Amino acid sequence: MSNEISLKETERKVFSTTFQDGLVDIAIGGFLLMFPIGLYVSPYLGDFWSTIVIFLPLWVILFPALWLIRKYVVTPRVGSVKFGPWRVSRMVRFNVVIFIVLVLSSILGLLSAVGFDAVPGLVHAARFSLIFLLVFSVAAYFLDFTRLYIYGILIALAPLTGELLYQYLNVPHHGFPVTFGLGGVAITLTGVILFVRFLKEHPQQPEQAESLERIEKTTR
Amino acid sequence: MTNEDELHPLAEIDQVIHAPARLMVLVHLYVVESVDYVFLKNQTGLSWGNLATHVNKLEEAGYVAIEKGYKGKKPHTMIRLTKRGRAAFKDYKQNMQQVLDDLPD
Repeated sequence: MSNEISLKETERKVFSTTFQDGLVDIAIGGFLLMFPIGLYVSPYLGDFWSTIVIFLPLWVILFPALWLIRKYVVTPRVGSVKFGPWRVSRMVRFNVVIFIVLVLSSILGLLSAVGFDAVPGLVHAARFSLIFLLVFSVAAYFLDFTRLYIYGILIALAPLTGELLYQYLNVPHHGFPVTFGLGGVAITLTGVILFVRFLKEHPQQPEQAESLERIEKTTR
Repeated sequence: MTNEDELHPLAEIDQVIHAPARLMVLVHLYVVESVDYVFLKNQTGLSWGNLATHVNKLEEAGYVAIEKGYKGKKPHTMIRLTKRGRAAFKDYKQNMQQVLDDLPD
């Protein structure tokens, strides 16, 4: 019986509906695509303004747009759910672990910055790869979001392959525009495909109020 | 042991829960805090009419609570499992486990 009604599996299945629309994928892909853009605009605008140019479109256009799509397009189709204490405590643990990982990553980043010239480029790249892989794997595990493992590997490969492209083919900016750009495009496209599939599989539900009205009529 | 004793765990199976559609609704409600009709309909694959009938039956038994509210200006109903419903579902699970475990291979 416990196999037939696997409650944990049901909870995971229910929670995974959060990511079926591809919007998180589009957000991650969009975030990655900003790096190559930033690398090309920073020589002209300086670090401060290039950072603004990179992140402003994300915070002002992309993220609010995705939030609005989730609110007005996704939620009416899939409905609303409040998750139980098990999921809430898992999310708390996720936040704690990701905080620790980010603190450790920042320390690693600072150490890299201090001894930047003394360490070969590939070692720097490997450090960043490790951080990306760790962050995405932790997120994938706690969020039961398996695509993040693949994205983690894809993004972890970006600094390493970028550095190799720079060293052997002299690709500018340590090859980051190519590798992060391609990664960003791949993840964004995955998100777009998932979103289109989601729209096809979840046609617009009649308004809940109308449906409830109908429900009352049928049960009277 | 009489036949009646042997059948005792089966006789204790809660018939309100035992119907497949209601069992499906309860399984989903058991693993979350609350859901709305749209979500439940998507997860269970039941029609609006079926879903409403079964949810009403579960409400009559005191197993689920229907909370009517508003989301913005639109009416929005959330359904959650009551303490009684949670306990009944746990009992149901144990009873079914016992019945199936006692069957010979």
